[in-house]
Amino acid sequence: MSIQEQYKKRVRELLSSGAVKMVIGYQAGTTADRRRPLFIRTPEEAEKLVLDSACIANLSGYLVTEGLLSDEKSVGIFLRPDGIRSINILAAEAQLNPEQVVILGFDGNDKEVTALQGEKARDFSAIIASIKEHAPEAPRNPQLEQIEKMSPKERFAFWQAEFSRCIKCYACRQACPMCYCRRCIVDSNQPQWVNTSSHTLGNLEWNVVRAFHLSGRCVGCGNCDRACPVNIPLRLINAKMAGEVLGAFDHFAGMSETQEPVLASFKKDDSETFIL
Amino acid sequence: MTRILLSDKLDNCVARWRKAGLTVIGPVKKETSSSYATVEKAADFDFGIVLPDRSIKGLFFPQTEPMMGYTIKKQDIATNDFAPPTEKRIIFGARSCDASGLAIDDPLFGWDYKDDFWFQRRNETVIVTIACTKADDFCMCTSLKLAPDSTKGSDVLLRPLQNNKGWLVEELTDRGREAFKEIADLLLDGSEQAAPLAVVPEKFNLDACVAWLKNPENFDSTFWKEISMRCIGCGSCTFLCPTCHCFDFQDEGDTYSGIRRKNWDSCSFSLFTMHTSGHNPRSTQSARWRQRIMHKFNYFPGKFSVNSCSGCGRCTRQCPVDMGITETLQAISTLKP
Ligand code: SF4
Ligand code: SF4
Ligand code: SF4
Ligand code: SF4
Repeated sequence: MSIQEQYKKRVRELLSSGAVKMVIGYQAGTTADRRRPLFIRTPEEAEKLVLDSACIANLSGYLVTEGLLSDEKSVGIFLRPDGIRSINILAAEAQLNPEQVVILGFDGNDKEVTALQGEKARDFSAIIASIKEHAPEAPRNPQLEQIEKMSPKERFAFWQAEFSRCIKCYACRQACPMCYCRRCIVDSNQPQWVNTSSHTLGNLEWNVVRAFHLSGRCVGCGNCDRACPVNIPLRLINAKMAGEVLGAFDHFAGMSETQEPVLASFKKDDSETFIL
Repeated sequence: MTRILLSDKLDNCVARWRKAGLTVIGPVKKETSSSYATVEKAADFDFGIVLPDRSIKGLFFPQTEPMMGYTIKKQDIATNDFAPPTEKRIIFGARSCDASGLAIDDPLFGWDYKDDFWFQRRNETVIVTIACTKADDFCMCTSLKLAPDSTKGSDVLLRPLQNNKGWLVEELTDRGREAFKEIADLLLDGSEQAAPLAVVPEKFNLDACVAWLKNPENFDSTFWKEISMRCIGCGSCTFLCPTCHCFDFQDEGDTYSGIRRKNWDSCSFSLFTMHTSGHNPRSTQSARWRQRIMHKFNYFPGKFSVNSCSGCGRCTRQCPVDMGITETLQAISTLKP
């Protein structure tokens, strides 16, 4: 039985036994290479499920939809390891109760996917630990290395040019499971903390705010990067910040349901190279 | 006999127009993203793009525009108005759906209040559209009763030649004729064949959709929730859309001086209809998606007798969760009115 068929069976079981009220997965999209989020509420609807290498979106953001988990019933969800890490962060930041999340885990490359064993986020801690273990030697984005070699002036010019295209749609924010605030700081106008306009300064401000706010929280799922309608390479910023946080604080986002947020916690041996 | 513009003369044309004081704009692909951008020579154009990622809208209604400046002193308050730009421009290589989008929005910007910023730019810009000979899976102009060679909103229509060496020229308006006078001696007479137009299959029955939307009973249909459940309210569809035109005013500055700006806004945002009290009449994403569809195919045509969609397909092409007008209208056209 293919992994897709195995999981269809599992979804039907979960729904008919009442273990979950809904399963969030993937279905076919407009074109052959696209997948759409799918909300399965009856065993019959499981027929629509597609699970293959084109299923790349991190669906965990849907779990914090207002009211979805407030009846204390469980929801099933298809997640790759990055998605499971975001469940851990959402749990650690008190946005959801991980007991209500039944994970249908999978992983893979651009050709095939394999099933991951486990049900609750904590069942996957060994997999996540090994990803952290291998993070320092994982292949780095060559463009990132190029940018690191630039002088600060060149680097600034590079990002200015990229951000000049930003139209401040905030699709990057909406697509990010970690950006769950009902009211984002950039939407506040009394007082207005950040320029709302999409001009040079406003675009830079927004992208810097985003980069910092996701430092140590970003799981590298790529939702933001894929959502950006003007293709700003947000993945480079995320990867850079994740690398910094790992190097300076040995912090890898989404290790467990109780992990402290790196920017909101203090340890006596934290590196303090920037404080004179 | 028709007039022909050969591609190898385009460099001369660009130079002539620039010399005549026109900013020349066209489809350009930079790095990973395409748009209509200023060009200096023919080689800057990229006519291979089916449709630039960003629509033509921003050239007439920019994402942010200063309207008014203010300074407040002890005794007095001074304001200064920003005037609409007077730059003369020619957009060479617009797509029919984008040009149509401008014509669709004209009545909106000139209805109870005449928007000088829009009309000044409209009047000072010549739009030279190139008919499409290729389309992608998302193009749907034909479903909106338009076509790859629609002339709506264009001043000149060019049809690519079969031999790919240039274009047949159809001057449509005085503004177009005026701009082409500059290059009249660079045009040839010829009898070459135009290349076949892109084939864009009709994706839904527009009349059936409109009938369903007009039935007030369907306003509260469960259809809206089902079709929009995966919408994440990112607003990409509205910002990229050539006809979406909502904006917001924002004051930037401090108590003593600042600028009032007109910025793009979107009905997909929860904040769009949020009242100061905290009450939100469109409190769910499905209510927001319904608004977008109703506005485009019911309210807007009710007021201006034209649908607020030109079928460019951007809303589906770029949606991070693969939604869009196409899927929704396809689904509606199968429902009973
Ligand atoms: S998605 Fe892209 S264009 Fe939109 S706000 Fe984010 S960076 Fe800017
Ligand atoms: S910032 Fe981007 S890559 Fe990181 S978690 Fe959010 S959506 Fe995923
Ligand atoms: S329909 Fe798609 S592009 Fe539009 S707001 Fe919803 S998620 Fe974003
Ligand atoms: S609604 Fe969609 S298809 Fe229609 S004009 Fe706007 S972006 Fe294009």
